[in-house]
Amino acid sequence: MNKLRRYFIVLIPFAFLYGCIQTNILDKVGLTTLVGYDVGTEHKMATTAVIREVNPEFQSKVEVLTTENDTSKGNRMEANRKLSKKIMVGQMRVVLFGEDLAKDDLRYYIDTNLENASVNNGIYMAVVEGKTAPLLKYEYKNIEDIGQHIFRLIEQNVKQEYMISATLHQIAHDYYSVGKDLAMPIIKRDGELVELSGVALFKGGKMVSSLSARDSFYVRIVRDTFKVGLYEAVLEKEDVSSQILQKSTNKITIAFDAIHSKREMKLVNAATPEFDLDINIRSRVLEVYPDINLGDPKSVKILEKAIEKKMSKEIVRIIAHSQEVESDIFGFGEKYRSVVRHSNLTKDKWHEMYKNMKVNVKVKFVILRDGVFE
Amino acid sequence: MKFKLPFNKKQPLLEKETPKEKESLVRVALTTDHFIQSIKSATNNPADLIIKSIPPNITLIYIDNLVDDQTLNNDIIANLLNNPQETPEAIEMTISIPEIVKSNLLQETVESLVNGSVVIHIDGYPQVLIGNIATRESRALSAPENESQVIGTQVGFNESLTTNISLIRRYIVSPNLCNEKLKIGTRTNTTISLLYMNGIANDQMVNTLRQRITDLYIDELLDSAVLAEMIDDNSLSVFPQMLLTERPDRFCDAILDGKMGVIVDGSSMAIICPQAFTEFFRSQEDQNLRWQIATFLRLLRLAAFFLSVYLTPFYVAAVTFHYEVIPQAFLVPLSESRALVPFPPIFEALLLEFIIELLREAGARLPTKIGQTIGIVGGIVIGTAAVQAGITSNILLIIIALSALASFTSPSYMMGNVIRLIRFPIIILAGFWGFYGIMLAFCFILIHLLRQTSLGAPYMSPFYPPRMKDMRDSLIRMPIPLTAKRTSLTRPKDKNKFEPEPVKPEKS
Amino acid sequence: MKNPIQLSPKDMINAYLLFFVVHGAQVGVGIQGFQRVIYQDARQDAWISVLLAGIASHIVTFCMIKTLEIYGSNDLYGIQQDIFGKWIGNLLNALYILYCFIAFFSILRNYIEVIQVWLFPSIGTWFLSATLLIIVIYAFTGGLRVIVGVSFFSIVLSLWIFPMLSFPLKYSVAESLLPILENDVRSILKGAHSMTFTIIGFEILNIIYPFVKDKKNVRKPVHLGLLFTTFIYLSVMMVSITYYSEGKLLKTIWATLTLFSFISFPFIERFEFVAVCFWMLIIIPNMCLYLWAAYRGAIRLVNIRGTTFVWLFSFFVFICTIIVQTRIQINAINTVFGHIAFYVIFVYPILLWILAILKKNFTSKKVHKNEQT
Repeated sequence: MNKLRRYFIVLIPFAFLYGCIQTNILDKVGLTTLVGYDVGTEHKMATTAVIREVNPEFQSKVEVLTTENDTSKGNRMEANRKLSKKIMVGQMRVVLFGEDLAKDDLRYYIDTNLENASVNNGIYMAVVEGKTAPLLKYEYKNIEDIGQHIFRLIEQNVKQEYMISATLHQIAHDYYSVGKDLAMPIIKRDGELVELSGVALFKGGKMVSSLSARDSFYVRIVRDTFKVGLYEAVLEKEDVSSQILQKSTNKITIAFDAIHSKREMKLVNAATPEFDLDINIRSRVLEVYPDINLGDPKSVKILEKAIEKKMSKEIVRIIAHSQEVESDIFGFGEKYRSVVRHSNLTKDKWHEMYKNMKVNVKVKFVILRDGVFE
Repeated sequence: MKFKLPFNKKQPLLEKETPKEKESLVRVALTTDHFIQSIKSATNNPADLIIKSIPPNITLIYIDNLVDDQTLNNDIIANLLNNPQETPEAIEMTISIPEIVKSNLLQETVESLVNGSVVIHIDGYPQVLIGNIATRESRALSAPENESQVIGTQVGFNESLTTNISLIRRYIVSPNLCNEKLKIGTRTNTTISLLYMNGIANDQMVNTLRQRITDLYIDELLDSAVLAEMIDDNSLSVFPQMLLTERPDRFCDAILDGKMGVIVDGSSMAIICPQAFTEFFRSQEDQNLRWQIATFLRLLRLAAFFLSVYLTPFYVAAVTFHYEVIPQAFLVPLSESRALVPFPPIFEALLLEFIIELLREAGARLPTKIGQTIGIVGGIVIGTAAVQAGITSNILLIIIALSALASFTSPSYMMGNVIRLIRFPIIILAGFWGFYGIMLAFCFILIHLLRQTSLGAPYMSPFYPPRMKDMRDSLIRMPIPLTAKRTSLTRPKDKNKFEPEPVKPEKS
Repeated sequence: MKNPIQLSPKDMINAYLLFFVVHGAQVGVGIQGFQRVIYQDARQDAWISVLLAGIASHIVTFCMIKTLEIYGSNDLYGIQQDIFGKWIGNLLNALYILYCFIAFFSILRNYIEVIQVWLFPSIGTWFLSATLLIIVIYAFTGGLRVIVGVSFFSIVLSLWIFPMLSFPLKYSVAESLLPILENDVRSILKGAHSMTFTIIGFEILNIIYPFVKDKKNVRKPVHLGLLFTTFIYLSVMMVSITYYSEGKLLKTIWATLTLFSFISFPFIERFEFVAVCFWMLIIIPNMCLYLWAAYRGAIRLVNIRGTTFVWLFSFFVFICTIIVQTRIQINAINTVFGHIAFYVIFVYPILLWILAILKKNFTSKKVHKNEQT
C-alpha cells in the first residue's frame, strides 16, 4: 500500500499536466462586442460582427466583419478564417436584427443565444431599420468603437427610462410566456450618429409593427413601473379647460420628470375580456409654456386633469394600435392567465382574444412639486 | 492517511543508560592529584580549565570566563586566604556565596563545572564543594524588533533564560506561576523552562507537553523555533501550530489564558501553545486599543490574508480562462496593458512573484540600511523597467505589490511566511484550471486546516467546533467586560477571568 | 438488541452540529436545477410541491429518530441486522452501501457535467473526477470530526450566496405565481415526488446517530436543519417561478445558476461562473457524508481498513464517471436514482419503524414470559 501510494504521488503531477485545458487569454482572443443578423443573399443568414482586438501597439482596433452561412456558429467559423485571433462571444453586449429578419422569425436567434453558456443573459437586443450591415460598417466620424457605442447608447436610454428595456432575459421571458409579446427598441443611423428611433412590436417571433420613439414613454408606463424618467407633452386646446389657457396660444407644452408611476390591471370581465387599467403617476413639473401659476391650487388641479386626459388618450391609442396588430406587449394576457382558472391559454388563443379586448384606461396624475423658482 | 513523522517523538530514553549510570556513580577521588586527573580526563583537558591551589589543602577548579571573576576573587579566594580551613563543612561556612552544594559524584561535579561553577576540592576528603558563580554574557533588554507595536510595552525577550523568566515574573507576580526546568539535547544540554499557571492550565495538556519535550531524543537544541517544530502536532504541515513570540506581555497574556509557554535558554523567542489558527492574526496591541479599532484591525488583517493569497490567482484565472467575468469598463485597460506581454498570465505572475520574493529575501539578508535601499530601488526600478520592456503588465504589478503588502500585515512572522508560500501553488492551479483550480486549492486548505490540532486542541477553534462565547475575542474583539471567559481552546480549570459584570454604559 | 456501537466521547460530536450535517448533506447538486423537473408537473404550484416534500422529510425524520431511539446507540446497519437477522440484514446493508455509492456517484457526475457545460467543455471527465475524489479522500481520512467540520464551513461560507437571490427579484413578476392551486393534487404530489433527488441527504442521520454525544437533544437541530433546507428550496423556487416565464423555465436546465447570470458587481460580472466553481464547497460535504456512511456499513460486513476502503470506493466511482459520458445517461441515472431514493428514504424508514416497534413488543413479551415462568 505504501509503495503504491508513492507511485501515485509521483504520477499525479504528470496526470495534472495532461489535464491542461484550452485557454482563452484575454489579449489573445478577439472579443465580439456586437452581432447583427440580416437575411443573407445566398445563405440563410448574414452576420455582421463587431470584434475588438488588441495589438501590441497598445491600441485596440475594431473590426467589422460580415459573413454568410446557415448557422450562427458557421458564421463564427467563417469570421475566424478572416482574423488573426480566436473569436469569443463571452463579452457580447448587443444583438441587432435587420428589419427583414425581424419580420421573419426570431425564435432561432433567441434560442441559440440562450443555449450558449458564455452568452450573458443581460445583453441588449434591438431591431435596425433596414439592414444591420450598413449601420455597422459606416465609418462614423466621432465613433471609434461602434459596438461599444451602441451598447452605451441603449444602456443609457434604458437607465434613464427613455426607452423600454429589452435584454435577452426579458425577450426570452416574453417570448416563452403565453400572455405577453416582446418589444424591442429600433435603431437607425442618422447622419453621423446612431439614434433610437422607436419601438418594434412583435407577435410571437415576428415583428409586426412599430411605434415612434415618443410613444415608448407610454409603452413603458403601461408595461413597467417608472422611477425616474423625463417626459414632455403637448396639451392641445381641446384637452385643457379654457380657464388657464391664455388667449394667444392654443396649446401648452409641459415637461416633467422624477416620475413615479404605478400601474394596475384588473380583469373585470373574463368573457370579452375587459380590463381596467389604472395608472398612477406622481411627478415634478420642470417647465410649462406658456406660463401657468403653479402656486395656485386650482390651476394645478386643472393642469393635472388636462395631463390625465391627454395621457389616457395616448395610451388608448397605443393599446388600440397593438390590438390591431395582435401584439400584446403590455402583458394583459399574463394577467388574464393569472386570474382566470383553468384558462389553458395558448399564445394563439390569446392573440385571438386580444383583438377584441376592451380596456378602460384611467390615469391619475399628481404634480408633486416644481422647481426652485416659481 | 497519516504521515509518519520524520523524527520519532515517542522513542524512550534507552540510549547509553547503563554506562551513564555507572559513570555517574564514580566517586570523587580522595587525593587532589587523582581528582585533578579525573577531572582533566572527563573534560578532555580543555585549555581554559584553571586549577588553583590554596594552602593548606584546597584546590579550586573552574573554567575561565564562565565564572564571575569578581565573586571568585572577593568572596571565595579572599575568604579562603584570610581564614584557612581544612574541612568541607568549615569551608562552606567561610565562603559567602549563596549557592553552594556538597557532592561526592564525579559526574555531577563535571556537569556543574561546565555550567560555570567553581569546584573546591579538599585533599583527603571524598567530597567536593560546588559553588555556582556562573556568569552569562547576554545582550541588554531591547525593544522587540519582529513584533513591534505602537501602543504597548517596548521590551522583548533576550537570549538569557534567567532574564526572560525574571521579566515574566515581573508581569505575573503570583506563586501559582509554575516553572519547570527541563534539559534536552544530549550534547548541548540546553536548559528549557516550561511555564504555566497552576489552577488555570489544564493538567492533561501540561502533561502532554512535558511528555513531548522529555521524549525528544536529539543531541542539539539551539533555538526555540526548532523545538516548536519538533513538538507540534503535525510537523509536516506548512501551518505553524505553536506561536513564537518575543513579547513578554503577549507571553504572559497567553499564560494567563491557560496556555503553556516554553522558553529555551539562548533563544529570544518563546513558544506558546496550544494556538488556534485565528490567533495568529492577533496582535498584542489589539488589547491596548479600543475594541472598535481592534476589531477593525483584526478584520483588516484577515481580509489581507485572503487578498494576499487569492488576488493574484484570481487575476490569472480571469485573464487566462474567464474573460467573461471581467467588467466591460475594465476590459479595455486590462487587455491593452497585456498587449505587449509575450507570456501567458501564469508565467507573468510567477515571474513577478519571484522577483518580489527575491527582493524580500535580499532585503532580509543584507544589513538594515542597504536592505531598505534594495527594497525601494529594486521595487521601483525593476517594476518600471519590467513594464516598459513589456515583460509584465502594469495592472498585474499593482496586484502583486498589493498582495505582497497584504502578506506583511500578519502579526506573526511564521504565518506571514506561510502566506508567502501557499500563493505559488494556487497561482499555478489558477493558471491551469482557472476558478476551478482556485476552488480546489481553497477546499484543500480548508480541509487541511480542519485536520490540524494544536496540542490536541482543534486548530480552527472557535469557528469549528463553533463556540459562540469564544468568538467574542477572535476575529472581532468585543469590549473587555464581555470577554470574561477564558478561551475554551485551552480547556482551563478556571473558566472565568473575572466576575462578569454588566457593561458600563456612559453615565448620563 | 445487539451490536450497539461503543464509542469514546472523543469521537463523538455535539448534537447541535447535526443542523449542519443534515443541511449540508441535503443541499448539493440538486438545487442547481430542480425547478424545471418540478415545474413540469406542478406548474406555478411547484412551490407547494417543495413545501410538501419538506413536510414529508420532517415526518420521515421523525420516524427515523423514533426508530433510532428504540435502539439507543446503534445505526441503521445494526438495526437491520437485528430486525431481519444476519443474512437478510447484511443483504440489506449491502444494498444500502450500494445506495450510498450511487448517491455519491450521481452527485459527482452531475457536478462534473455542470463544470463541463459552463466552464471547460474540453476538460476531461477523468481529470475533474480525480481531483474531486482526492479532495474528498483527504477530508474522509481526517475522520468524522473533519467531515462534520467541512459541512459546517460549507454552509457558513456559502451563506453569502443566498442574498444574491435578491438580484433577480428586479425582474420578477409576482403574477406568475397565480392562480394558486390551479393544478390538481395529483400533479402537485407528482412534483413533490420529483423533489426526492434534491431533498435527500438527511438519511445520514441513520448512520451518524450513535456518534452524537447528547442524544436527547437530537430532535431540535435536525428539524431545524430540515426547516432551513426547505426554506432555501422554497425561496429559490419562488424566485425562479417569478423570474422565468413558464416556457423559459421548462427550457432552462440549471435554473438556479442561470438566475445568477446577469448579477454584476463593479469588479466582477457573470456571477454564475464564480458560483459554479464555488459549488464545489457545497458538494464536498455531500460526498464525504455518503462515503462515510458507506464506510460505516462496509466495516459491518467485512473487516476492512478505512484507507483501503476509501481507495477502493473512489476507484469504482472513478471508473463509473468515465463510463457515463452523455447528458442522456446522466439524466437517466438521476431519474432512476430519484425513484430508488424515494423508496429508500421516504417509504422504508416508516416500514422499519413499524417493524422495530413490533419486534420490541414481541421480545419484551417474551422476556416477560420468561420471567414469569
